[in-house]
Amino acid sequence: MMDALGSKPAVVIEHRFDAPVDLIWQMWTDPVHFKEWYGPEGASIPSARMEVRVGGSRLVCMEVQTPNGTMQMWFTGEYLEVVENERLVYTESMSDENGIVKSPGEMGMPEGHPTTTEVRVEISADGSGTRMVLTHTGIPEDSPGAAGWRMAISKLSNYLDARR
Amino acid sequence: MTTAVDDDLLDETFAALANTTRRAILARLAQGAATVNELAEPFDIALPTISKHIKVLERAGLVVRGQRAQYRPCALDAKPLKRVATWAEQYRPVWEARFNRMDDYLKQLQSNPKDGGSR
Repeated sequence: MMDALGSKPAVVIEHRFDAPVDLIWQMWTDPVHFKEWYGPEGASIPSARMEVRVGGSRLVCMEVQTPNGTMQMWFTGEYLEVVENERLVYTESMSDENGIVKSPGEMGMPEGHPTTTEVRVEISADGSGTRMVLTHTGIPEDSPGAAGWRMAISKLSNYLDARR
Repeated sequence: MTTAVDDDLLDETFAALANTTRRAILARLAQGAATVNELAEPFDIALPTISKHIKVLERAGLVVRGQRAQYRPCALDAKPLKRVATWAEQYRPVWEARFNRMDDYLKQLQSNPKDGGSR
């Protein structure tokens, strides 16, 4: 029941864009374009550094306006697969502005948030447009803390079920 | 907005569960409803501190307080635990909003940027 915190695909979203594959590829790999759409509602992307090659790193800053002023969040990661106009896979973790990974605990978040997630983007031509499949997976295995957390939740959950 | 509320709730749930005492309180409540005094018994913790923990659990929707008498017994509500299990689903609306923005941005790019984006 709690295994959604495990390693299987967490979110899979399919979307069709009225734009050619190479332009969609740029949306993900060219910081100029990426900044225009990536920030969630109310957030902006003041900086995005991307070394789009296998083993290359990425560092994205997200800026959110809060009642207490501007808050910056940094996300870092590594490119795992780079197949131009086909497939892009990278990891994502919260970090400081130098790309040093911060544990969710250090960021003031409860231990349960996976330290690292994996974003997989697969694109293919669909008529004059592009079909994209996005898979966003939590990989708590990489983090002893998160794995422990998952065990704690599933233990608690089993315990609660058993007592009812 | 529903999404923001859901996100907040999920944060509350994680925060509530990230504490040994609170997990122990939940485990005790899984055996049945209890008053604050009963919940405090096994702990070497002052009553107000226990009350604080219970408030956190209440805010996270994990504990409901009865209206009966002045004891207001606490009971477990396990529903938020299921939401935690599907934390990743919380990303879905975020991504969908992003892709809608990408759609708009693409339209803007592909039309003549000089004429204000209208065809």
